[in-house]
Amino acid sequence: MIVAVSTTVLDSAILGVLAVAAVLVVVRIVRPGSLGDRAVALDTLTAVITCGLLVVAARTGDGLQLDLAVVLGLLGFLTSVTVARFIEARRGDHHD
Amino acid sequence: MTDVLTTVRDVVSVALFAVGALLALVASIGLHRLGDTRARMHAATKPATLGVVCCGLAAALQLAYFSDVTKIVVIVVLQLVTAPVGAHVLGRAVGEDGDGGGRS
Repeated sequence: MIVAVSTTVLDSAILGVLAVAAVLVVVRIVRPGSLGDRAVALDTLTAVITCGLLVVAARTGDGLQLDLAVVLGLLGFLTSVTVARFIEARRGDHHD
Repeated sequence: MTDVLTTVRDVVSVALFAVGALLALVASIGLHRLGDTRARMHAATKPATLGVVCCGLAAALQLAYFSDVTKIVVIVVLQLVTAPVGAHVLGRAVGEDGDGGGRS
């Protein structure tokens, strides 16, 4: 029982650390910077949210959040590839 | 005996979650402190692969159903395959000078 209570507390602490990391990454995205920096930060945000979803899934015990994590993984990959293609296209226009 | 095994499982699971969360925190600090886009990419790859693997193992220890563990395997394998490919494409787009594709 004591162990069960302390794991709940520790799960909350882990979610808190992940929330701090997510806020720092969002600040990095919103702050003025280059497009590549923002794409990298967006990729990191996807990974942080995936970790958070896995923590919540382990805590609640049902697999509802795992479907969200699968979709989020695909979405993060497509996002970074799309932004990279956009950067390359713009760079090509600039050089012509 | 079962109680002891449950305790060990909980401790290992929480430790793996803590590793994943600390990797995410270190990467988010590195995104602010490192110099150019490629160095920031170096910081960002840690939670994208190792962090998700640690959190996936920890969640798989806690979940009871086989279908849930299968979904976690899908998540982890997908992340392990797509993260290097995405980083490669993005690194090529950022260019040799590492200026991050110009101001946006």
